[in-house]
Amino acid sequence: MLVNLNTRTILLGVVGLMMIADLWLIFQVAPTDAVLGNVQRVFYFHVPVAIMSFLAFFIVFVASIGYLVRRTPGWDQVAYSAAEVGVLFVSLALITGVIWAKPVWNTWWTFEPRLTTTLILWFIYVAYLMIGYAAPSREKGALYSAVVGIIGFIDVPIVYYSVVWWRSIHPPQMIGPMAEEGAIESGMMRILLFSLVTFLLLFAYLVWQRSSLRRAEDQFRAIRLQLRRASI
Amino acid sequence: MLVTLLQAAPPSNLTYLFAAFAVSWAIFFAYAFFVSRKQQEMEREISELRRTLEELDGKEPS
Repeated sequence: MLVNLNTRTILLGVVGLMMIADLWLIFQVAPTDAVLGNVQRVFYFHVPVAIMSFLAFFIVFVASIGYLVRRTPGWDQVAYSAAEVGVLFVSLALITGVIWAKPVWNTWWTFEPRLTTTLILWFIYVAYLMIGYAAPSREKGALYSAVVGIIGFIDVPIVYYSVVWWRSIHPPQMIGPMAEEGAIESGMMRILLFSLVTFLLLFAYLVWQRSSLRRAEDQFRAIRLQLRRASI
Repeated sequence: MLVTLLQAAPPSNLTYLFAAFAVSWAIFFAYAFFVSRKQQEMEREISELRRTLEELDGKEPS
């Protein structure tokens, strides 16, 4: 327990230092976009949080399969924690996107394919989180959530490929299998990669922290049940 | 007809840039704070329950 706490604290410290370095890179080193101006710097936040949400939902997908096969609470704890952190990241991707859209597209929101499919993704995983609370028992909740976690993942590649499949005003992919070579200037790409690593560590920290809480919640429920039986 | 093209500086839009970063940081800190506080609360409740359980076990008639 002490070892875990220390490792987690060290990870938090590393994340904090990397975040400071990232902000310095974004505001002092990254070149100003010739067309969009300073607001383009939102890109170094917006793209990593969106990619981390995809990673989160991939973890939910794998852990949900693990839960359906093994039916052990550990898989559910990982899946639920990744889903909650994923919802946080996808919410931030939507919020930073909306703030970026206003000066660039002159509108806060438009129902174009990338934005619409991302909003659907947000609804799917909010539903995933709510199912756990609405289910008659913890086990049933974990089971229903696992099914949603597997089916819901279908929307992730749809979000990613939406700018290829449909006419869209959203910029094309800058990173990943469909990204064009040279789509982004090399200096910008290096800072984007640094941001990605920073957000990956922040993501790992938050999932780790949330999994510990989920485990503690399960432990609390088990002891309370034991107490009820003991007092009868 | 003479056409003059002006190379205008890109708009800075610093308010939007500030808003995006401020909102993101506020949400991250709020979430981390919420999870950490909940964890402490849960650990305290678990130790209280354990103590009660131990007391109940101790009081059981032989």
